Amino acid sequence: MKKIPVSYLPLILGVIVLGMPACSKKAVRSGGDMQASQDETAKGRGSKDGTGSSFPDTSFSRSDESNNLRGLDRNPSEERLGGHAGNAGSPVGAGHANAMVAKADSGAVARQLAEIRAEQVASVAAGLRDVFFAYDSFSVTDEGRHALAGDAEWARSNPNAQLKIEGHCDDRGTSAYNLVLGEKRAKAVRNYLVELGVAPTYLSVVSYGKERPFCTEHTESCYSQNRRGHLVVKTGK
Amino acid sequence: MTFRVVVFVSLCVSIGVAWIIESGAADVFLEATRQDFQKIPLGIAGIENLGGSESPEARVKLGTRIEDVLKADVRRSLVFALVDLPSLGIKVGHLGAEPDPSFKQAAENGVSVIVWGQAGMKSGNKDVDLSMDGYVYDAGSNEVVGGKRYVGSTSVARLMAHRFADELVFRYTGEPGIARTKIAYVSELGTARELFVMDYDGYDPRQLTADGFLNLMPRWSPDRRFLVFTTYRNRNTQDIDMIELATGKRWTLVAQGGLNITPVLSPDGNSLAYSSSHEGNAELYRLDTKTKAVQRLTTHAAGDLSPSWSPSGRELVFTSDRSGGPQIFLMSADGSNVRRLTFEGDYNAAPAWSPRGNWIAYVCRTPKKEYKLCVITPDGQKRLQLTTGLGVDDSPSWSPDGRHLVFSSTVEGKSQIYMIDADGKDLERITFTGTHNSAPSWSPAS
Repeated sequence: MKKIPVSYLPLILGVIVLGMPACSKKAVRSGGDMQASQDETAKGRGSKDGTGSSFPDTSFSRSDESNNLRGLDRNPSEERLGGHAGNAGSPVGAGHANAMVAKADSGAVARQLAEIRAEQVASVAAGLRDVFFAYDSFSVTDEGRHALAGDAEWARSNPNAQLKIEGHCDDRGTSAYNLVLGEKRAKAVRNYLVELGVAPTYLSVVSYGKERPFCTEHTESCYSQNRRGHLVVKTGK
Repeated sequence: MTFRVVVFVSLCVSIGVAWIIESGAADVFLEATRQDFQKIPLGIAGIENLGGSESPEARVKLGTRIEDVLKADVRRSLVFALVDLPSLGIKVGHLGAEPDPSFKQAAENGVSVIVWGQAGMKSGNKDVDLSMDGYVYDAGSNEVVGGKRYVGSTSVARLMAHRFADELVFRYTGEPGIARTKIAYVSELGTARELFVMDYDGYDPRQLTADGFLNLMPRWSPDRRFLVFTTYRNRNTQDIDMIELATGKRWTLVAQGGLNITPVLSPDGNSLAYSSSHEGNAELYRLDTKTKAVQRLTTHAAGDLSPSWSPSGRELVFTSDRSGGPQIFLMSADGSNVRRLTFEGDYNAAPAWSPRGNWIAYVCRTPKKEYKLCVITPDGQKRLQLTTGLGVDDSPSWSPDGRHLVFSSTVEGKSQIYMIDADGKDLERITFTGTHNSAPSWSPAS
């Protein structure tokens, strides 16, 4: 390289570095609602904006951390290692994870099962039909529209019923992205029901991604069963 | 303490701090992960069984078990290369606290370290009845450089081996080692999915939640005290909760309505990044854990999810389907400077930034529509596919030393948890029971 470009390089790079964040920040703001969401947040601390107002401090500084290894010693003194439960004092190595306890709450499990069963019974009684989707897709098919026409009719003749639309995905793909895909499917179903005249206030959506499959085989017939918008008569909260 | 070579071009220094903030290069450390790192040859001359109160069979099992655990830990450290001592004429077993004369042959055979020890039962005390002594011989100086003496109940036998292994790694690298780390994960119980924590080698699984529905994608707090995760309250809303491991106590961090998923605390613990659809579609947000203020980071009609922090906390890598299928994107932690990182394939998701900063692991869909693990450098210059075969690999999570990944895979049918070296070698399955184990998250080192 020649002399002049080299000496200019830091200056040029500096301009790029300082310029870029400002540009992209503008791009983000031009999306519209960033400012609005910040204002909302400032007003609604705690429960109003849906974030918990009190939980323990999670801040962490690497320099605070004492590596609890003591190093090798020519005349090692005894190190007492902690077990999992009921250890008096704080023996070495009884790290936080060792002292944990399973929060067995069989009441919660039983309640969930009873509520799921009640929803199933009510949904079967209503004769609600599900909507099935193609791989990677969240478009409602013609067959799906046909099923939803019947569901919409039921909803109109049962105006006090709350319908829940569960978005489900097959096992392929990542858990996290399938939660987003499942929500897109559930919302596509909801939007079509609204088009058919069902009041949005009686409809709710939830995505289960690939976490509550209807079958678990690795076959296309099973996968297609799991790519669905599942309609449920909501009986709980 | 730790020997670190921070890599950045000398030119950057002249530009100053602004460049460091904008560049991922400041996150790159070269240590034992570098290609030409020579493993330290180490031999284990036995953990002998001493007498005690238990039956001879139990004693044999105990000593063997500690030795096996230690061997596995030493192998997984990737700091040491295990050497077979008897084939070099070096005595194994029936050793006291002093090095055997045959140890002198270690140096000329290229062996740097020999470790050995004894384990036995103490009678009389109900709480403390197992003791283990470990010794470390350095071939270069031809002397015992030190040892350890552990006591505890038989339930901590594995922990004694893990702790001794970490002391060895600490002695030779200045790093704390990974043998005492934990893995949080999700396991299926009936139709419910609950949080569990196990040792890094798959032993000692412990159940943390029993809600009877879905708890998903746990992530550790940097101080290892808490997990943050998605919970389905009343089956209808996805909120973000935090659980304290020591007590099982829970707090709700985010309950905004809509999908609230993929929470992850920043390396300093002061920010929680997560994805929420409460304003329409899935967007990334940042919750200040001190002031509880929420900042929206992304604004796009597409879905944004799965944030992962750079080691410095200055940048985030995340999944977005803004260009069609899901792809990996980078941005500054304030939401500025968004740029796409992956261009190969039509489905790339679940990114995880290495604690050393030099790689980002993610799930890549192959041309044959299999979901496998890939790694890519933050500048996008180098990309490797780590796993092959059938099935869906998901949720890669780095070991704190950056030398391994843990992930879930259906390669053998049911979803189970596997460990693999960062270069794709030494695939090892670590869960064997249950119908579905997924979403592993590797704890920080202690």
